Amino acid sequence: MNLRESTGIALGALRANKLRSFLTLLGTIIGVASVIAVISFVEGLNRFVSDKLINAGSNVFVVDKYGFITSNEAYEEANKRPDIRMEDADALARGVPHARMVVAQTGSVERVRFRARHLDGISIRGRGPGYDVIDDLTIAQGRHITDFDDQHRQSVCVIGPEIADELLPGMDPIGKIIRVGEQSFQVIGVTTVKGKMLGQSQDRFVIVPVRTFLKYQTSQKSVEISIKSADQASLPIAIQEARNVLRGRRHVAPGKPDNFGITTADTWLEFYRTLTGGIFVVMIGVASIALVVGGIVIMNIMLVSVTERTREIGVRKALGARRRDILTQFLVEATTLSLVGGIIGILLGVGLALLVGALSPLPAGVNVFAIVLGIAMSSLVGVFFGSYPAFRAAKLDPIEALRYE
Amino acid sequence: MLIAIRDLHRVYQVGTEQVHALNGVDLDIEKNEYVAIMGPSGSGKSTLMNLLGCLDTPSQGSYKLKDQEIGTLSDDELARIRNQEIGFVFQTFNLLARADAIHNVELPLVYAGVKHEERRRRAREALELVGLSDRMKHKPNELSGGQRQRVAIARALVNKPSFILADEPTGNLDSATGEEIMIAFENIWKQGNTVILVTHEPDIAQHANRVVRMRDGKVESDAATERRIARAHA
Repeated sequence: MNLRESTGIALGALRANKLRSFLTLLGTIIGVASVIAVISFVEGLNRFVSDKLINAGSNVFVVDKYGFITSNEAYEEANKRPDIRMEDADALARGVPHARMVVAQTGSVERVRFRARHLDGISIRGRGPGYDVIDDLTIAQGRHITDFDDQHRQSVCVIGPEIADELLPGMDPIGKIIRVGEQSFQVIGVTTVKGKMLGQSQDRFVIVPVRTFLKYQTSQKSVEISIKSADQASLPIAIQEARNVLRGRRHVAPGKPDNFGITTADTWLEFYRTLTGGIFVVMIGVASIALVVGGIVIMNIMLVSVTERTREIGVRKALGARRRDILTQFLVEATTLSLVGGIIGILLGVGLALLVGALSPLPAGVNVFAIVLGIAMSSLVGVFFGSYPAFRAAKLDPIEALRYE
Repeated sequence: MLIAIRDLHRVYQVGTEQVHALNGVDLDIEKNEYVAIMGPSGSGKSTLMNLLGCLDTPSQGSYKLKDQEIGTLSDDELARIRNQEIGFVFQTFNLLARADAIHNVELPLVYAGVKHEERRRRAREALELVGLSDRMKHKPNELSGGQRQRVAIARALVNKPSFILADEPTGNLDSATGEEIMIAFENIWKQGNTVILVTHEPDIAQHANRVVRMRDGKVESDAATERRIARAHA
């Protein structure tokens, strides 16, 4: 059967009644558009997050009291473990030869003040030297915290650019004494602007030397230790070395599980993927419902079309069309219909993804797989929901069909 | 023998009742005959036409077209016979409204699997034959009734069928245009085609060489027309 003819008939019918066609195709358009948008969005998010996690913390793992906790029970259990102390960080710095850097960290949330101005809820981070490498921070003004600052528990701090702008507007921040909680710190550096990540500012913090932080803290707190291995290959070795050191110091008997946690970027990445996987499944479900509804509408319109064109089917049969010729014709028509819907849906979905990409920091790019999927899904909808009307058309009796008024 | 029909029966089941639309028809038609089948409604004329056109199969009896028994053929084989051996002309033209004249004429060739170029060429020839070479790109609604019927005749001829089967071809036309169409059939017959005309109008039937009259599902009479006799003397 003539493929071009059937496609032409379907396109002609679409053009002849634009509103009806649009309504017919709405379900398919919404279904395909949401699939494309979700895939592009989640893919963009994935790329963004893995970029961030891997770049910021490449070859980094974190040792802490809790590890990766996803349930309340696990938290209660982990809470009973002994704290990790600065001494552990020092021991790790000595006992992990494959570590390039061992940075202890702790933190709290405080009010920061300068003269009459104050900011609430600011993240105060006690960090050991090397934090700039771990956190990918560069200095815009002044200098970083050094080992000397830390060892001598200096009351100095490095602030994020947002703090500088809001707390010390129009002033040279370097050398200013600001109040952090109940203590005074001298500003020695301001970091460069990093912008927002998932709507969260990355420029709103105060970093102080970790030992200074611990000196002033009122209650004992467990510290976290970030360890950067020399390279990718030595990461597992460094992890093993760190485990050995900590198990020894914390008297963990052989065969017993670690009473501390080791988290890598992969742990987070995996957790994140599970999370977006869930979103993915839900959205695909919604899209499938839209596609099924769209398919039913297409089936309905095709049934109407078969009835309207009963005589034409009779004529075609009289002129020598076999059942499969008629079947193919109506299948091609249904598929053309749904494909047009699919293509509109793809354009819409891609447009949506590009819009999200333009208005947010997410690199929601066009995904070739998503486009192929969209085309495949819409043609499948056409073939599936077009087959019943096509079958009805194909089995029409030519005499009855020719007599149909 | 082109068509050989022996003791043909067609029984329809209408509810609980059996309707004997054809009740033992015998009919032979030779190549290049010009036959009219006449009869009032209910005579079995339409049933015979559907059987001749291979749109239907007999309940009993034999219909041989070019020595091929039609009754035992499958749907697809019947479609092939309709496509290759029979050229239909309908009372209401039955052209595809969306397609232009040449496209309508091409349709049987599409189902015959003829390639596009060849299709165009043959459709153009057929349209020239019925004098519509200047109307090829016109849609049916841009053509007069007579022109539409001539497009339909071109469509019937395009695949060089064994016979033309015309069902009341002038029924929807005024008498002048009807006459014009009958001249077209006459020409087609003169070129060596077999024409079977189904009609209830005696005037139209008189254009043929032979009239088969149906009544109560049987052939009532089968005779040469005056025109045939005139033609024979000419």
